[in-house]
Amino acid sequence: MKTKHTLHLTLLSVLLLLLSMALTPVGAQEATLRWSLEGINDLVSLDPAKASDSQGFTAIGLLYGGLVRLDGDLRVIPDVAESWTTSEDGLSYTFTLREGAAFSDGSPITAADVVWSLTHALDPNTGGWTGPFYLSNIAGASAVADGSASDLSGAVAVDERTVQLTINQPSAYFLSQLTFGSAKIISKAQAEADPTGWELAPLTSGAYQVQEWNRGQNIVLAPNTYYWQAPSVSIALSFNPDSETAYQLYRTGELDIVGSQQNGIPPAHVAEASALPDFQSTSLFAVRYVGFNNTIPPFNDVNVRRAFALAVDKATLANDVLQGTVVASDRILPLGIPASELPVEGLSYDPEAARAALAEAGVTPESIGPVTLTYGVEGDNERIVTVLQSFWQENLGITVTLEPLELTTFSARLNETFENPEAGLQAYYSIWGADYPDPQNFISQQLRTGVGNNNGHYSNAEFDALVDQADVLVGDVENRLGLYNQAEQIAVSEVGWLPLYNPRLNILVNPNVQGIVFNGQGLIIPDFSALAIGS
Amino acid sequence: MLKLIAKRLVSLPFVVISITFITFIVGYMAPGDPILAMLGGRTDPAAYERLKHSYGLDQPWQDQYLDYLSGLLRGDLGLSFRFQGRPVADIIASGISVSTALGIAALAGSLVIGIPVGLWAGVHPNSKRDRVSMILMLMLYSIPSFVLIGLLRWINYQFYLRGLPSLPVAGWGRPEHWIMPVIVLASASMGYIARLTRVSMLEVQKQDYIRTAHAKGLYNRRVLWTHALRNAALPILTVIGPSIAFVVTGAFVVENLFSIPGIGFLSVQAIQQRDYPVIQSTTVILALSVLVMNLITDMLYMAVDPRVRVEG
Repeated sequence: MKTKHTLHLTLLSVLLLLLSMALTPVGAQEATLRWSLEGINDLVSLDPAKASDSQGFTAIGLLYGGLVRLDGDLRVIPDVAESWTTSEDGLSYTFTLREGAAFSDGSPITAADVVWSLTHALDPNTGGWTGPFYLSNIAGASAVADGSASDLSGAVAVDERTVQLTINQPSAYFLSQLTFGSAKIISKAQAEADPTGWELAPLTSGAYQVQEWNRGQNIVLAPNTYYWQAPSVSIALSFNPDSETAYQLYRTGELDIVGSQQNGIPPAHVAEASALPDFQSTSLFAVRYVGFNNTIPPFNDVNVRRAFALAVDKATLANDVLQGTVVASDRILPLGIPASELPVEGLSYDPEAARAALAEAGVTPESIGPVTLTYGVEGDNERIVTVLQSFWQENLGITVTLEPLELTTFSARLNETFENPEAGLQAYYSIWGADYPDPQNFISQQLRTGVGNNNGHYSNAEFDALVDQADVLVGDVENRLGLYNQAEQIAVSEVGWLPLYNPRLNILVNPNVQGIVFNGQGLIIPDFSALAIGS
Repeated sequence: MLKLIAKRLVSLPFVVISITFITFIVGYMAPGDPILAMLGGRTDPAAYERLKHSYGLDQPWQDQYLDYLSGLLRGDLGLSFRFQGRPVADIIASGISVSTALGIAALAGSLVIGIPVGLWAGVHPNSKRDRVSMILMLMLYSIPSFVLIGLLRWINYQFYLRGLPSLPVAGWGRPEHWIMPVIVLASASMGYIARLTRVSMLEVQKQDYIRTAHAKGLYNRRVLWTHALRNAALPILTVIGPSIAFVVTGAFVVENLFSIPGIGFLSVQAIQQRDYPVIQSTTVILALSVLVMNLITDMLYMAVDPRVRVEG
């Protein structure tokens, strides 16, 4: 009886294995790129105007085309528009759509679709936030966004293939903003015929179309043969909330790309993974920093902020504590963003100078009392703030209390700090990542007086004047970047932020995959028709 | 018996309403803001106010709760915060079917293996096979599922490295995706059921009627199958209900680690995203399923044991 049972069990397990083999189609991976999107269990929406996270924008970027997009070197290149001209005053852009440009069902993409899509992205009834944020420079955008107008006055369909966009102020990054998801092109005819249902099976204007959307599992994208750069490889985007699970799937050959979203492959596996030819690593267009509340003591005093900045040994933090998984930084702009090639004199580690700055501020550790540093509980944050705490304790003698908050609570508190600074956070450990590769996104949009992201209310009139001038300067690239550089220098010296490091993103890409470029902005497919999976 | 069931049925709505209220209030008071989560932490006061209004979050909490409750009565679970405009019922329906299928498979697996192992051990108490199988079952029962998952993945990876057939370590949609989660999910209740069956068998075998049956000269096998097993099945039946509940709660870990789009997975994701309508609905449904399972168990118990029927 005993042997019989063992036999049964063995037979059963063999049967199960055979079954699993029989059910796994051997040739299933022939021309499908299996790309894992971590941190989500589903896409929020396939409406470009409603997408709100990097995972969603990855899908949107594959499905929809815009007037322009970014190439592998992050330059703005033509997409559905084949060319454009700019008026003398820099306020008017005229785009010519490609001849024969069509949606995934073969219906033509017209100028009216472009105008409608931009208006849709701004329309408060759409319920997205990226449109009002990224398209605000288009004339009439705010009127559409606040519901007082239904037509976007700055967008005109001149004829079938010509779109004219008028903007409020000249801008060197306007085209960059148009590469973002909110400016992608939707089929007006389809969306108007089925206002709520279209986004489940949209006609697409980009390289891919939806073949199958298995809610909560994956979305399979088939090539859109009408796209001007039609790909030959399909893409399956699978949703894996847990990075560890995605990594395990990659290890057993179930995925081709893993870690391409915000968090990369799990830090615990970086050492073993870095030996593989699949391993790719880049410094992200993002910066981790400590922000200070500039409206209340002690950080309303520039010398106190300087003391805190000078007391932090970033090299130790980056190389010893985080074992080189990040790049220490003394400045606001991440490496690779235009103007980051211009030097900035940072506040590097100097405990002597730190104590001197504190003395200059006329305060003592006792008079400052305990300071609170707030942070969101995520990844390595706790380890990092603990190290910061010890730097300030050792070098300044100041006791720093750490306040951990769950992420959404943390962002709510940041928001409160912006709205009501007197009752806000004293200091916070935060991060900013590029929406588009332009210094304006890091300098003007973070630290100009009163802008929505300036939670710490840093304010400097000279800084404001410089960025206001740079933001509208078109054509003279060198001069514009120089202005940002001067502004950055002011913000660094006055510690508008205390920059700490640029995170690295570590990902795994099957070495057989060709035609994908990995840079600080993430994964980019410069030429969709060149995307291939070799053997 | 009918009276008992009727009593239970009457109390059910009250229990459910209390649950909805508690989940609502906890969600309402919890720190974190769903609109901010939606906006990705950006500050755009106009967009913030607009979204807050469109989801009714600018209303006082009583109104929000009553809105929710009246929707619930009409079978309308509301719209998801995260997946804008998508009905919660839609999201949850697919989750329930996945979880139920997985739960049934796991429960079936644990019964099909657990009961025979328990019987096998119970018939020959204190034998070597009894000891070995029971230690094994105790291990299965006590090992946390996340440890077991790690172990299975490691074994699977060793297979993969040697070019042997390996299983997908996560995901859903293909038949082979079932194997690992079912093993993990079944193992804990399997260990429990096997041990319980064994104890129950030992207990029954001491009874007078078993001795009588032996005395009548019946074959050993006949005594076991017709006299012992039927009576030994009783306590097993009573734990099946709770173990279904156990399978459901266990599914929280398993579904999340295997990326299975079941209701446990949806709940955890919804909690992270502050997707209140989904959180409320999943909680209510989970609570309801536990209540119903308990009710069914009671009914089964009455059906099998005449004594309960009389007392009821």
